[in-house]
Amino acid sequence: MDLNARWEKILHDIWSNKQRSLLVIFTIAIGIAAIGMINNTVRMLKRDLFGQFSERNPASIIIYAAPFPESLADGVSGLREVELAEVQRSSEAYAAGENGAWMRMNLRTVPDYNAVQINSTLLEQGSAQPELRGILLERSAASALDLDMGDTLTVSLDQEKVSHLVVNGIVHDMTIQPYSISEEINAFVSMPTLEWMGEVPYYNQLKLVVADGKKDRAHVLDVAAQARDRVIEPAGYQVSAMQIPGSDGEPGEFWARKQIDGVLLVLQLMSLLAILLSGGLVVNTISAVLVQQVKQIGVMRSVGAVRGQIVQMYLVYVLVLSVAGTLLALPLGLLGAWGLTHVAAGFLNFNVSQVDLPPSILLLQLGLGILMPVGVAMFPILSGTRISVYDAIYEYGLGGGEQRSRLESMLLRLRHLSPPMLLSLRNTFRNKPRLAFTLVTLVISGAMFSAVFSSYTTLKQQIRELGRYVAFDVSISIPGGANRRTVEREALRLPGIEIAEGWGTTNGFILNADGSESDRVEIVGLPQDAQTVQPNMVAGRWLQPEDRGLVVVNEDLLIRQPGLQVGDSIVLKVADTKASYQIAGVASRHMTSARVYMTLPEYSRLTGRYNQVDVVRVQATPGAFNSPIQQEQLGQQLEKRFDDAQLSQSSSKTRSDILSSFAQAFNILLVVLLMVAVILAIIGGLGLTGAMGMSVLERTREIGVLRAVGASHRSVRQVVVFEGLTVAWLSWLISALVSYPVGWALAGALIYTALGTQAVFRYSLPGLLVWLAVVTIIGVLSSLAPARDAARLTVREVLNYA
Amino acid sequence: MVRKMDFETNPFTLDTPGILTLQPAGKEVQPDEAGIYISRLHKSYHTPAGSIQALDDISLQALPGEFVAVTGKSGAGKSTLVNMISGIDRSDSGQVLVAGTRVQSLGEDQRSRWRGLNLGIVFQFFQLLPSLNLVKNLTIAMDFCGRYDPQERRPRALHLLEQVGLADHAFKTPSEISGGQQQRVAVARALVNDPPVIIADEPTGNLDSHTAAEILDLLLELSQSGKTLLVVTHDRGVASIASRRIELLDGRLQ
Repeated sequence: MDLNARWEKILHDIWSNKQRSLLVIFTIAIGIAAIGMINNTVRMLKRDLFGQFSERNPASIIIYAAPFPESLADGVSGLREVELAEVQRSSEAYAAGENGAWMRMNLRTVPDYNAVQINSTLLEQGSAQPELRGILLERSAASALDLDMGDTLTVSLDQEKVSHLVVNGIVHDMTIQPYSISEEINAFVSMPTLEWMGEVPYYNQLKLVVADGKKDRAHVLDVAAQARDRVIEPAGYQVSAMQIPGSDGEPGEFWARKQIDGVLLVLQLMSLLAILLSGGLVVNTISAVLVQQVKQIGVMRSVGAVRGQIVQMYLVYVLVLSVAGTLLALPLGLLGAWGLTHVAAGFLNFNVSQVDLPPSILLLQLGLGILMPVGVAMFPILSGTRISVYDAIYEYGLGGGEQRSRLESMLLRLRHLSPPMLLSLRNTFRNKPRLAFTLVTLVISGAMFSAVFSSYTTLKQQIRELGRYVAFDVSISIPGGANRRTVEREALRLPGIEIAEGWGTTNGFILNADGSESDRVEIVGLPQDAQTVQPNMVAGRWLQPEDRGLVVVNEDLLIRQPGLQVGDSIVLKVADTKASYQIAGVASRHMTSARVYMTLPEYSRLTGRYNQVDVVRVQATPGAFNSPIQQEQLGQQLEKRFDDAQLSQSSSKTRSDILSSFAQAFNILLVVLLMVAVILAIIGGLGLTGAMGMSVLERTREIGVLRAVGASHRSVRQVVVFEGLTVAWLSWLISALVSYPVGWALAGALIYTALGTQAVFRYSLPGLLVWLAVVTIIGVLSSLAPARDAARLTVREVLNYA
Repeated sequence: MVRKMDFETNPFTLDTPGILTLQPAGKEVQPDEAGIYISRLHKSYHTPAGSIQALDDISLQALPGEFVAVTGKSGAGKSTLVNMISGIDRSDSGQVLVAGTRVQSLGEDQRSRWRGLNLGIVFQFFQLLPSLNLVKNLTIAMDFCGRYDPQERRPRALHLLEQVGLADHAFKTPSEISGGQQQRVAVARALVNDPPVIIADEPTGNLDSHTAAEILDLLLELSQSGKTLLVVTHDRGVASIASRRIELLDGRLQ
């Protein structure tokens, strides 16, 4: 085929400078792939995670009540406002691990496994109905513990009497946190099995799905209160708690909805950055092409080409590269989306139904991939082709008559620098728009990179902040409660324990002014001068020993009960007792449940349980925490001591366990963010490679002169590599300046969306230092190829360059 | 001998205000289409070292079919004159009428198109497009100007290459042939759109004497074929075969 000469020239230009063409293609591909990967992941997550979750018909609210029969559900379903009501039995149990340690287990029982409509599970293997002496395991626990069909699991409800249950089914339950996050085994047994294990057959939870306003928190609470007041309590069953499932108590929402939304938002912002950077790189490269071809443009114009024709040619140049980049981006983006979705699926325990590329995302990628580069390239093309024929033919490549900037003059005065180094420094500042762009690219990459590190440090700090409320080495719960002095004395008998505090905890509600009730709040009674809590007060003050009628609430409670503030009165209801309190202070977010703190005497009055505590918190050394291993050992000693003393058979919790479970939940998020930061760094590196290539190209003559006056290959390479490093280090300096505000914004946004709380920002200096290392490597790697090209130039080639 | 423009007898009276205003820019003004007519042309360049008067009150003409050689020392203003005639650069004042068009009154794009159709240029450094083979270097000029049917362009390019003795190299790129051969391609390219006027800026300046002689023969042939030819040169050989010689010294005609 005889291709039109114009288009042949363009194709030839693309082909003859493969390095530069590939640079542009890869840049576009990475930006567009990032857009595709992230948007497709967002779509698949919404489709599969949230879709599958709502298919399971999640409970709007769960009502905890005194033992009741199955028939109670019929009464509650009779309410007009209730769409569905189902009973279940939830028992705290333990499973024996390999080394004999007990693992926490939530053992649930429903009347008919084939008729579950609320929080339904999907059968993965075996039978949906647990057999007698059989157990169904949630799949995340089964795979984490490497349990399979037919395996026997040793289960105990009290860590004394054990039962051996055979796994006869593996189910998938999306309505609860997977084992990797909660570290609690979720399992199902039949009522006959539970009876065989020595339990009385009854139910203790009522799952409700409201008929209308499924997402309306106030309405859901109101319906639950009606169920309680009109059906459950009149039937004689005391309601102990009503709780909307999920991290923030939003009915019908996936338990990590907010966190996921936060991550997706950040990812989308990052993909936007990636596309901006790759757009900028296209501008930079096309500018260089135009600089290089300015003489050819002059020649073409001298033989009759009008500007529109030249513009067309370079637009086609960009179009060819963008089509190639986009075509490469499509499979890359899909692969990325596949990877990211599967990582998320593994972490959040959902199934990826199908990895596909829907027309909307395909169009988004095609549109952005083709229109963005062509759109942004319009600017350099229009300005590059504006040059007069005279300037194009005669002025190009002379390089004389440039006005020296103040900076260049300053550099020239650095006389103690070696000439090659001085040349590198001067070269760096010669093409200022390009330097500015390259710097912007690298600075964005660097700022994001160190912002991710700062976010990590801030998160760790945030988790440490949470540690203020678990300021103990070990805590152990005392089911049913025990005398405070007894448990504290018993704990202090263990060698090495200096502090032992008995705390009272119970569930209650806040009675609102309109007569409605909040969902469950945890009411805590603190001993005088409690040391295992170091509250961070966001308003008001902490409790004083002599406080009467005063309470401190946490920020978690304010999220559920907005509008409350210091000085307000609240009415607390525990069982049948109601009492009014004034809020003395607000403690920072706990990341657990809504909590109300009061002095132990107040607590005793409210609950009617004098000097009874429900948990004991111990610490070996005041003011310091033991290592995780020491805490674990202390926990085991405490468990044994309390078991021997017949005070508790519960397993202990250590501070490090509690904190690390929070940290784990965020690690995945940081890995994803780091991945995006690496993509940005790659784009930054490509940008620098391009800029260095252009820099060498533009100074071919100067390099020739260097060679002519005896510069070795090595010196020429050094000039170029040092220039690359100068740009890289300069970008690092600017990154260092902007990394604080960028890190502050990213960490703040991340923590606010994920945790709903204000972050106390912690800057990560190691992050900045890591970026220094990375940017130095980028500087060297990016300039190696251009340096090699420069060193290869012969004096003859350079003389012909004119 | 230098022949300055005779304003008394020449019908081309650009300096006559009344006539000038009657002529719309870019339109044909006189029947002498193939010629070059220059009147009171001034051009100076401003450099950090001061102002340089490149052309100072130049008036001259090259009649249709004439072969005019412009000579002068380096810096005399020869290339500036070529750039004024070809519309590559703009004058400070004065008029240039080439092939019936007042070049300096055209916009940049109009000049490009006008140049492509009416004026063939041969540069000292050949200025071929390095990525295209010789045929394409010729067809691209026809393509830009939309001259000839697309099917005709390639045969025409091959024919012209044959005329300059390069038919065997038609599909090579410029870097694969010698400097003299490249200059012949440049001459062929100047002819592709069959312009009435050809100007050449030091066409033999970069060539050895044998190759230069070949290019001179080519130029002579062109002149004999009726094209108006203006050649800027140092080369005494070129000046000797031209029908007329104009000498520039410090931007002025001698």
